Amino acid sequence: MIELTISELRKKLDSKEISAAELTKEYLDRIDKVDGKVESYITVTPEKALEQAAAAQKRIDEGNAPALCGIPMAIKDNICTVDVKTTAASRMLENFVPPYNATVMDRLESEGTVVLGKLSMDEFAMGGSTQTSAFKKTKNPYDLNCVPGGSSGGSAAAVSADLCAAALGSDTGGSIRQPASFCGVTGLKPTYGRVSRFGLIAFASSLDQIGPVARSAEDCGTILNAIAGWDLHDGSMPKITEKPDFTSKIGMDMKGVRIGMVSEFFADSVDEEVRKSVLAAIDSYKAMGAEIVECSMPSLKYAIAAYYLISSAEASSNLSRYDGIKYGHRADVGGSYNDLIIASRSEGFGDEVKRRILLGNYALSSGYYDAYYGKAMGLKQKIREEYAGIFDQCDIIVTPTAPTVAYGTNENYHDPKKMYQADFCTVTVNIASLPAISTTCGYNKDGMPIGMSVVGRMWDEATVIGAADAFEKTFTRVPAKL
Amino acid sequence: MELEMVRYLSKLAKLEFTDEELERAVEDMTSIIEIMDTIKDIDITYDPYKDNHNVYLEDLRADEAKPSLDTAKLLQNAVSQENCFVVPKVVE
Repeated sequence: MIELTISELRKKLDSKEISAAELTKEYLDRIDKVDGKVESYITVTPEKALEQAAAAQKRIDEGNAPALCGIPMAIKDNICTVDVKTTAASRMLENFVPPYNATVMDRLESEGTVVLGKLSMDEFAMGGSTQTSAFKKTKNPYDLNCVPGGSSGGSAAAVSADLCAAALGSDTGGSIRQPASFCGVTGLKPTYGRVSRFGLIAFASSLDQIGPVARSAEDCGTILNAIAGWDLHDGSMPKITEKPDFTSKIGMDMKGVRIGMVSEFFADSVDEEVRKSVLAAIDSYKAMGAEIVECSMPSLKYAIAAYYLISSAEASSNLSRYDGIKYGHRADVGGSYNDLIIASRSEGFGDEVKRRILLGNYALSSGYYDAYYGKAMGLKQKIREEYAGIFDQCDIIVTPTAPTVAYGTNENYHDPKKMYQADFCTVTVNIASLPAISTTCGYNKDGMPIGMSVVGRMWDEATVIGAADAFEKTFTRVPAKL
Repeated sequence: MELEMVRYLSKLAKLEFTDEELERAVEDMTSIIEIMDTIKDIDITYDPYKDNHNVYLEDLRADEAKPSLDTAKLLQNAVSQENCFVVPKVVE
């Protein structure tokens, strides 16, 4: 039963075929048996999960269970959970216990969701492999010698390995979609401003967005229904009071839908098997009656530079709060106030985080600001304009989610340049604040999943979910064997 | 990137590196800056007036005092505390 989608589990729970506690125990048993190999969880909270399951059962028995009531989920470890350790996979926050919940956690709790624990990730969400985690270097359930992607690698691997029914991740430059692609599951990055960032440990505040990782596009819509909506605590959200149903286009007819095929996303750096698989998915849409429109995004070649300059500039500012005094790692040194801060930060942060801080300081420093940060911000505007032009002609865009399938755990990690360049398929979506979903569209010759992304207009998650669902209904997923 | 620049950035970032780490940081940053330098090819200017659409000043709450977290909760993650955050002596 643990391999079912949320909509299937809902029926089983409501028909009393299984109780919320029984379902929760099945996942906890699976975590006990399998997570030693996958290493997706940093913290498991069995007692709390069983208490939540008991409370959820009462609501189910009363016949008024919301969509996520009794559904066992897990949470990326950069989302604050009151009284449960939240580490962002960093030594800096190894013992950090938040005194408050992120808004998304309050919303999941009000639905009666069961939370199984906290999932590994790249340190402070900086990376695409989950190998920069200070605690659990998660493995890909399809091949334990490969990475799960990142930074939400724990979220994608846990869903893929049936260690939870669904998970929350966060996406700053592809951190939900790329691991979803590598692990053969579905991941949604909502429009910037759709989901409150309150309680999300900040990486790059103008790009960060929380979203779901699940077994289907429909499940992503169900979770988004629960977590979306205006929050007083997040000033970057417009006060949209109506609550759309993000599953309203499930079962949509693709006839007449205009799909943009942006040539630059199918560049030579995209692996041949990935390209063929995504093009075959576009052909499937065509067979459903969709119209394919060829488009271009000339600025894509500058997107990696723009993204890393903006995100690192914001990260260097956001991470200046870690001084070893109010919370986080405090070095055991004598000396001055300044000595304490330097030692605490140098001991607490890992190599990749330090690289991003250095790059951010470089981009913002006197004499370099206009050449780097200023130009990157200009490019952000240009990329947004190019997307607007494409969406004048199209309803959605389909791209590969990543140029390759999951790679070996020791590849790329020591080559930051190669690691950064692999993000070119996903970063423009964050730069332009758009919604996008990644779903599996094929497998390579070794059986590793290939993901495609459906990108939509701002605030139009319903269409990207509907289009991904239309493809999923024609496609047979091959589950990971563990 | 030159060693002196990495030293300067480390100082700004309040980070310190061993000599071996510094050497690796120079290598990594040089390689990363190569990617960043691609944007030098493009003639583009940022227009700040186009870019304020994510600020929703009208939706801010009224400026009224509201209850906050209590002191014990706020201090629970501080390693050194005596009902306040304890820092090394900063004034002689």
